[in-house]
Amino acid sequence: MSAKMSNSKRRAPVRPDRLNSTRRSFFSSVGNGLHGAALVYLLGQDLVSPSVALAGSSERRVYDLQERNPHFEPKAKSVIHFFMNGGPSQVDLFDPKPALLKYAGQPPGRDIANDIEFINEAGGFMPSPYKFAKHGQSGTELSEILPHLSEHVDDIALIRSMFTTHFNHEPAIFIMQGGRQLTDRPSIGSWIVYGLGSENQNLPAYVVLDDPKGLPINHVQNWQSGWLPPVYQGTRVRSEGSPLLHLKAEPEYPAAVLDVARTLLSRMDHDHLLQRPGQPELEARITNYELAARMQLTASDALDVSQEDEATKEMYGLNDEQTASYGKRCLMARRLVERGVRLVQIYIEAQIWDTHFELEKELGYACGKTDKPIAALIKDLKRTGLFDSTLLVWGGEFGRLPISQTRDMGVAGRDHGPTGFTVWLAGAGVKGGTVFGATDEIGYKAVENRVSVHDLHATILNQLGLNHRDLVFSHDGRDERLTDEFPSRVVKEILA
Amino acid sequence: MPLRLLSSCLPLEAALVAILLSAPDTVIAQDGSPRFETHVEPILKQHCHSCHGPGIQQAELDLQSRNAILLGGNAGPAIVPQDPVASLLMQKIASGSMPPGDAKLEAGEIELIRTWIETGALSVGQSPAVGDREAVETSVSPRKIVVATLNTKCLLCHGRRHQEGGLDIRTRDSLLRGGVSGPAIIPGKPEESLLIQRIVAEEMPPAEHQSRLSYRPITSTELQELRRWIADGARFEEESPWLARPGPDPLVSDDDRRFWSFQPPLRPPIPAVRSQDLVRTPIDAFLLAKLETKDLSFSPAADRLTLMRRAYFDAIGLPPPPEEVEAFLADGDPRAYERLVDRLLESPRHGEHWARRWLDAAGYADSEGQADADAIRPHAWRYRDWVIRALNADKPYDRFLIEQIAGDELFDYKARTLPLAEKERNLLVATGFMRMGPDGTYSVSQGFVGERMTVVADQLRILTSTVMGMTIGCARCHDHKYDPLPQRDYYRLSAVLRSAYDPYDWLSPNEVGVGPDADWNESNTRMLLGVPSHEIEEAERFNAPIHKEVSKLKRDLESLTAPLRNQLQDKKWAETPEALRADIREALETPAEDRSETQNYLAARFGSKLEVTSDELRERFPGYRQKAVEIETAILKTKRRLRPKPRIRALFDMGGEPTPVHVLYRGDHRDPGPPVEPGVPSVLSHGLEPFRVERPPWTTGTSGRRLALAKWLVQPQHPLTARVRVNWIWQHYFGRGIVQSEGNFGRTGTPPTHSELLDWLATEFVRSGWSLKAIHRLILTSGAYRQSSRYDRTRHGSDPDNILLSRFPLRRLDADAIRDSVLRVSGRLNPTPFGPPDDTEAKPDGEVVAKDSPEGMRRSIYLLQRRSKPLTMLEAFDAPQLRPNCLRRTHSTVPSQALQMMNSETLRTNSRYMAGRVIDAAGGDPAKQVERVYLAALSRSPTEREQAAGVSALARMTQAWMRQLDEGPAPMEPKQAKARWLALATLCHTVLNSAEFLYID
Repeated sequence: MSAKMSNSKRRAPVRPDRLNSTRRSFFSSVGNGLHGAALVYLLGQDLVSPSVALAGSSERRVYDLQERNPHFEPKAKSVIHFFMNGGPSQVDLFDPKPALLKYAGQPPGRDIANDIEFINEAGGFMPSPYKFAKHGQSGTELSEILPHLSEHVDDIALIRSMFTTHFNHEPAIFIMQGGRQLTDRPSIGSWIVYGLGSENQNLPAYVVLDDPKGLPINHVQNWQSGWLPPVYQGTRVRSEGSPLLHLKAEPEYPAAVLDVARTLLSRMDHDHLLQRPGQPELEARITNYELAARMQLTASDALDVSQEDEATKEMYGLNDEQTASYGKRCLMARRLVERGVRLVQIYIEAQIWDTHFELEKELGYACGKTDKPIAALIKDLKRTGLFDSTLLVWGGEFGRLPISQTRDMGVAGRDHGPTGFTVWLAGAGVKGGTVFGATDEIGYKAVENRVSVHDLHATILNQLGLNHRDLVFSHDGRDERLTDEFPSRVVKEILA
Repeated sequence: MPLRLLSSCLPLEAALVAILLSAPDTVIAQDGSPRFETHVEPILKQHCHSCHGPGIQQAELDLQSRNAILLGGNAGPAIVPQDPVASLLMQKIASGSMPPGDAKLEAGEIELIRTWIETGALSVGQSPAVGDREAVETSVSPRKIVVATLNTKCLLCHGRRHQEGGLDIRTRDSLLRGGVSGPAIIPGKPEESLLIQRIVAEEMPPAEHQSRLSYRPITSTELQELRRWIADGARFEEESPWLARPGPDPLVSDDDRRFWSFQPPLRPPIPAVRSQDLVRTPIDAFLLAKLETKDLSFSPAADRLTLMRRAYFDAIGLPPPPEEVEAFLADGDPRAYERLVDRLLESPRHGEHWARRWLDAAGYADSEGQADADAIRPHAWRYRDWVIRALNADKPYDRFLIEQIAGDELFDYKARTLPLAEKERNLLVATGFMRMGPDGTYSVSQGFVGERMTVVADQLRILTSTVMGMTIGCARCHDHKYDPLPQRDYYRLSAVLRSAYDPYDWLSPNEVGVGPDADWNESNTRMLLGVPSHEIEEAERFNAPIHKEVSKLKRDLESLTAPLRNQLQDKKWAETPEALRADIREALETPAEDRSETQNYLAARFGSKLEVTSDELRERFPGYRQKAVEIETAILKTKRRLRPKPRIRALFDMGGEPTPVHVLYRGDHRDPGPPVEPGVPSVLSHGLEPFRVERPPWTTGTSGRRLALAKWLVQPQHPLTARVRVNWIWQHYFGRGIVQSEGNFGRTGTPPTHSELLDWLATEFVRSGWSLKAIHRLILTSGAYRQSSRYDRTRHGSDPDNILLSRFPLRRLDADAIRDSVLRVSGRLNPTPFGPPDDTEAKPDGEVVAKDSPEGMRRSIYLLQRRSKPLTMLEAFDAPQLRPNCLRRTHSTVPSQALQMMNSETLRTNSRYMAGRVIDAAGGDPAKQVERVYLAALSRSPTEREQAAGVSALARMTQAWMRQLDEGPAPMEPKQAKARWLALATLCHTVLNSAEFLYID
């Protein structure tokens, strides 16, 4: 059930004379004092003080997460982004290159050499150890290492001609997240919630589900709001243990102590505000508590996957150690999207797609961990009818080279390859079964229907009803865009 | 013409898509294709010539003739005949990004230009058959060869500091002269040129250093270009640099120079106001003059304790101790407040508090950032201490700037004997300001020219935004769209730094980034010696045993390696021709510079082949490989325990001639434009002595470029230096600058709310001898500052946003002040200043906290500031992520702050400490305890009602704790006392959570 609030206006600040009853009702609805405010953290609707709202303009603008109208009729209400940081190998997963067999072992030419970090250790061309086969009605070829996704080729659109401009993780991830190799730019997620707000004010608009095994490269900068107001940054929700920092009060505190403390604080703040009328910051501070009350009820429910039936858990692989962690996050993503969360980004460990060495072992691990849960999520979204309003995006910051990184084939893997790689999209308005663009004979470079990162960004925004040229934010006197001034186009060919 | 009809009613973009997708012949008029003179020129004249026409050519682009359009500007050719999609002009007008402003081209006009390009972009009289595409000659530009290929890929080893094999590639002459193997190039004969031969043989650039030194092999395109360049005579660029003069400048008009912030500030008269009695300092007169035009005035004065608390936080960032609150209340002297201000400005805490703000602006961090490794900067703290000391000593701001920008150019430090005297050492430490931007170069293959350029760009951004209030970053890629800052001027400013920061001849930012590799000696790092001897001795004492361990491990490795190496070596010698063996041996044993020609040949032919590399050994002996790796890992681990050698993180001139600076089109180092000389923005010339570089008189080599910049900046008449600084100070007191966009005094910035006040303050600042404390005192003692912050609709209705300062703004404490205050009131604040930063740690749940110590904790400014690991508590309260710097912190109200304050271990622990302090001071009487809590945390006594509420809360909480303690096992201490203490701690915790603690009236 999504909580539709699109027509409601921004909540007016609470009048001091009504505070008492409001706060009383808030506390009685929570029942656990200081602890009750804990889930406030989940709250996406941060209230920005006027000093921020005033930045850069003389008008009083409040940045919030109230739902906003898109530029045009959207196909997608939500996005689930499988951020496959590390650089998944296109020639082993999505982009079959039989020619590599022909060239196996031959040393690479000068230009590929230019993309290699340890040139004096590099081996020759390396064919994929995996077989590719046609699947579905579309006959899309996919690697045998993705058996579950193979069942859904007719639901997804592959772009085999992605390219980017940097071969190192940090800059390439910044490019994929924020459009440029600069460290201070907002991530695409921040742009989306800046543009659209959220349907559900009781949950964060932009949820980041990071892997308990570690943060991706660039850490929390992946979901930063950059120079957009902080209210638009991603909210990190842990899938193991306490989902948020400082969620709970110290357990040994007697409830009665917390109760007294809470009442006292409420009284102090109330008196403080009464003596200081016309200070929106103080009102905002108090309003936070009310929102927290609502949050506590909705957020814990949203994140509780134990409510799912056994068949669903099985489908996501929650009962299997290999898939349980990623499966849980996929299932959480569905529950969040169901409740109107605008964007869920699922991250994966630090670098499991970064298959420099021991390609088969590494890819086996990465695919084993993610393939089944992702396929389950597609199935589940279709079952619940959310597939048509949810855009799925799968991809990393670059791909990999068609050569072996080492001469020793026993430990062979592939180095970073920015010049050609694959991403896929599915769901809302995406034409399933499509294969768009192509790399050259060896899978090194995108040559046909090349798609830039900016094109991908423009396409994602487009499905949400946003025109990338029109989604602007004035920063340092300049109208900034996610796609900046890069020539960018919506990849219409993969859209229905 | 159905399309024309369509385009008039469709939205612009849709129409364009339709047009771009349509077949060309559908839109070409029957009577022939459009021509420049008849169809296109009138449109351009109307819409574009004001910026790209007879008067001025923004971005070097002239749209007056067809040829000029083909030639294009900074960003390359404006059109590609027959290819509208690839034509920049088309992209700009179709996207609506050009022309700027509201008057865009009509859809029909755009379509016409598109058709003109598509049909060959013809002039009147040209026949459609002549396509320009073939006619455009692609010749190899020497500039591109030299800058993008030779400098980028060869200069590090064959340039100013190193001439491997005797070769220096920086000039045509030196290439012709070549190195030990002979001339590097033979003009006209590419295949006979050693340069080409070595590249073709893949010997150069050498693969083995490529990862560590961050370069890449020569691409096939580059190789072809090199061949063609040599075939054409291997010409070097002979262009003269693109100069900008203070007088008429084609890129900057006099009109541009007339903008208010580019004009020197003139001291205005102090206005007369009706309420002369409210004027305590001239600031008040300027503010009242504006207020009175709206029939407004200042609010009543804040009460004494409110004012005291406010002044404490503004001057030193800490709350007043209870004793001082009581003493101040009892002080009957009418000048008690002024004396308080004097005391606060003299407090050593003042420098700490304001240094935090300067360090934000300077982008201070204790780690390099940029790369994921986020290497620690072990010596940054010296600069932090320098700033604190400078502010405490009220070092005149002109001097403050000169030392930070060019302290190394003030004396001949290279000729001094070590260790340096403190005064001179500090001049080097001060240049740390120029080393604060993120610099992840040389940490895991991040050191390419592009990244090095970014380091310089960040540093320029810090300098220009902080010191000059200019947003100059845009001009890295193109002429500034709004301000008169041509790209040329960006690169001229960047040239000022080139003699210290040369992207083609780069130094590693610190020894951690370089790693333990023995090839790296200190001269490859951007660090200086000159620290006090005792620091060096201390570090050596600490490191000595670790070095011993390392040597032992190295010996182990060597004893493992030597027999295998000899075995392989013998084998290799056996493969050399027996007849030559003795000669080869002799040749290799002769130092390179003494070798005869034959010996050179032999050394070159056999030297590297006979070498036994560790890779070879590993490949050949798998058993050895495993053991070697084990020992090497152990060595690395052991070395990690080493304390870094004490050094100064400084910026210094590298001596000699730096590489020339070129304008880089689109900021791309592979696309160099004309060369430029060091300089300052041409728009800033009115009333100023021109920027002039003079080499200092000593001979050890420094260019004087940065000193010239610093001196140019601190001219009393400089339109920005003083204005920007006083505005920045003002903003921290009143929450908003007189110019609200503190980092942007340009056209897109906000105009000053009180321009005369700004100019008066700026001139007063200079007149006071650039005394920062004089400005602080002026503000702190003004009537404006002493106003109450209470909002009253009837009184303030006509100044709702407080633009006119009809009241004092209520503000939340910033992150550091919150943490420091909590520590202070709990008695946990360790006042020890200076020195290496205190460590932080990440707890398993991800929270980053300061490491606890028995001495308590120091102020937040002394905490390790690692970019990738911000302290959770500071981050929650908007401590900035410095990428690269921050001129004003935002103040968000987000729920994580409440969570932090209520549930974090830090707050709980400190509340318990605070309770202990309260008991020490107030004893066991609950009423006195409540009194003391209020005094300590809120700098005031509780009202009767508050006191009663506090006492009652204490009683109830004590009872609740008693009940809980009764249920558990018997504690060591008496239950009653423990319950009371815990109850008091919760009371303290509650008060620390209150709005009154966190917001300053």
